[in-house]
Amino acid sequence: MKFIGKSVLIVLCVFSFLFLNIYNPSTALAQKSEVHTKLIQANYEFDVDKMGDMSGFDPATVKFPKGDTIRIAVIASFSGPAAIMGDIFWAAVSSAAYDINQRGGIMVDGKKKFVEVLKGDHMSRIDQCKRVAERMVLKEKVHVLVGTDGSHLMKVINQVANQHKVIAQNITSTSDDLMNATNFSRFAFMSCLSSSQVGRGLGYYYGQIRKKERKFYIICQDYAFGRSIADSFKQGLKEYYPKAKIVGEDYHKLFTTDFAPYLEKIRAAKPDVIFTGNWAPDGPNLFKQARQMGLKQPFANLFLDDPNFLHEVGPESASGNIQITQYGVDVPAFKTPEQIKYYKTWHDLWANKWKTEPYNTRLFEHGSGNLGSYRQQVYWLLSVIERAGSTDPEKIIAVWENDTYRLPTGKVLKMRACDHRVIQDLHVVEYAPADKQKVSMNIPPYYWYKDAASTGHTWRIPAEKVLPWMDPKLDRCADRDEWGE
Amino acid sequence: MELSTSMHIAQGIHGIAFGMVLFLIASGLNVIFGMMGILNLAHGAFFMLSAYFCYQVIAWTGNFWIALILAPVFTALVGIFVERFFIRKVQVMGPLGELILTLGIAMVILGGVKTFWGTENLAVAVPPVLQGMVSLGGMDYPVYRLFMIALALVVLGIMGLLLYKTRLGKIVRAAVSDREMVNALGINIPVVFMLVFGTGIWMAGVAGVAIAPILTVFPGLADQVGMYAFIVVVTGGLGSLKGAFIVSIIFGLLSSYGVQFLSQLAPVLMVGFMALVLAIRPHGLFGVKE
Repeated sequence: MKFIGKSVLIVLCVFSFLFLNIYNPSTALAQKSEVHTKLIQANYEFDVDKMGDMSGFDPATVKFPKGDTIRIAVIASFSGPAAIMGDIFWAAVSSAAYDINQRGGIMVDGKKKFVEVLKGDHMSRIDQCKRVAERMVLKEKVHVLVGTDGSHLMKVINQVANQHKVIAQNITSTSDDLMNATNFSRFAFMSCLSSSQVGRGLGYYYGQIRKKERKFYIICQDYAFGRSIADSFKQGLKEYYPKAKIVGEDYHKLFTTDFAPYLEKIRAAKPDVIFTGNWAPDGPNLFKQARQMGLKQPFANLFLDDPNFLHEVGPESASGNIQITQYGVDVPAFKTPEQIKYYKTWHDLWANKWKTEPYNTRLFEHGSGNLGSYRQQVYWLLSVIERAGSTDPEKIIAVWENDTYRLPTGKVLKMRACDHRVIQDLHVVEYAPADKQKVSMNIPPYYWYKDAASTGHTWRIPAEKVLPWMDPKLDRCADRDEWGE
Repeated sequence: MELSTSMHIAQGIHGIAFGMVLFLIASGLNVIFGMMGILNLAHGAFFMLSAYFCYQVIAWTGNFWIALILAPVFTALVGIFVERFFIRKVQVMGPLGELILTLGIAMVILGGVKTFWGTENLAVAVPPVLQGMVSLGGMDYPVYRLFMIALALVVLGIMGLLLYKTRLGKIVRAAVSDREMVNALGINIPVVFMLVFGTGIWMAGVAGVAIAPILTVFPGLADQVGMYAFIVVVTGGLGSLKGAFIVSIIFGLLSSYGVQFLSQLAPVLMVGFMALVLAIRPHGLFGVKE
């Protein structure tokens, strides 16, 4: 009997050992790690049931009340090579504003006021950006400047905001320098993720979760953002994946036509993964030409999520790509009826009402990804204004600093008070073909895109592992921990 | 083949392929300038318009080859319309009027594509028969890029035949030399020049279709590629088809080997080459001193 008992014990030990080897514990831990205690409670929670009637909303035709309103200027590329970015921002900001107006507006300075959104086209040019931002402040008397595609342009917007004492909200430009000791402004808030977080997040994913690929090639656009995001990726690998090797790096000019020479170098370097911070059109062009040239490595990226191009390259081609996102959630995507309602509000409008390009294209179908994130960030801004009860920038600053806000997706954002940067969990998304998208898309039709790769499995990168970089030279942050406390 | 050797050869072919695309765009511009004296600032816009036509024809027919035939023709027809009803009328104002007009036309085309097709990136797929790689002496190379080289050579051949082996070519060359004399012989010069303009735009159109599958079609395409055409034409010599061809190939090779050996400097090599050439020969490599 004793012999049998010992044998069973040995067999159990052997099986336990094998199980632990097959079942990667780090993956499981990463997936099931708890949300940090500082990001569990929120000062304000988005309530889907309080949303206004959105049935009349169409970004192509939306009109905003004029007069004594809360005025927000969207400053972006509405023309030129990056004009689509302006359309994306417009859809995001105008939908949030429309919703608030349908609810009857916001009580500010003792009066219910509607939100008015204005377009400011910076044409991707610094001089034009300064001109249009100043016009919005001085002539249109806007209360908030929302921007923009390009860190160099966001810097200009922040400067104008600082000079004229209006709020600037950065919903997409990721350069860390924007909020360093030199550039920081009390009036500027960076509610999006930053380059350092992208790099550290991907470093954490490859080093602490995935633990497979080791050789990386970096190719980014040759300007402040491209350099900064490449540096952050190198830093992230150094911190979380010391065994990783950078086998090559290149920086190409913006709007490059022919990537073949770069891709030939990449082929020769034989990396396991190609990292790029490129946004459109450079991102899709790089990826498309890579596949045309037979390079099969996955791309770790931030912006390769345009469904039009993902359809073009086909589901197999982009499957396995890794994207870090601030919109992502733990799978499955929909855990509550409210989340489904929030999703369907947008998707049904896209399917049934929007007939004008580009809003009727796949790019706007789901209201998720970067577009979804921009929209949620603007909801946060409007919530802050509502709670401040004023458009007075000092009152807005007082509420926003240290504020915590729960998104419809359930994630909590925290605005670090000392340098106005957002603390949040990030997610790494693995792109997958339609039949594997159901792990994420858990409502009919159980895929995001039938004929393109899209979100499959996701991994949460805990906020404490990717806290935004804090400039030690910034006096306001002296003696503060990384949470700004 | 050794990896480094095959990489260097591949870079050379990439350079030639890119150079050929540059040539297709620049040669159209050069034909128009060389024969009509019009510096067409809308050339890049016509190139972009053709890429959009290509997208649209494929959306209707699902066939790249039909698009390759029709899109440049549609673009050329737009060009002919523009020449007939606008450019011809401002020619009395001299080059300044033409420059302002063609700049305006570029803006109208840009506005038009944004109105009809929106601002998002549109995709044109490589036709199935040109997908994949082909083995060249042990080195795999994308079929489509070889097709681009072949297409440019075919267009160059057609242009050469048209200009130097046909009666129409003789008339065009004669008209360039002495417009009044040819007119006195009973040849309708305005019609000849309208056809020349259309041909130049057609060449930009072919380039627009050729490049669409390797780039995304979007309103910035004209800015992205159009400027190269002007650099090629200025460096090669205004009006010189031979100059455009040689400089396009040099630029293509500078671009690919620049990335290979001087990656950080690659983007400025073309401009540096242009500056060097213009410093030595202000009228370009093969340009004729006026």
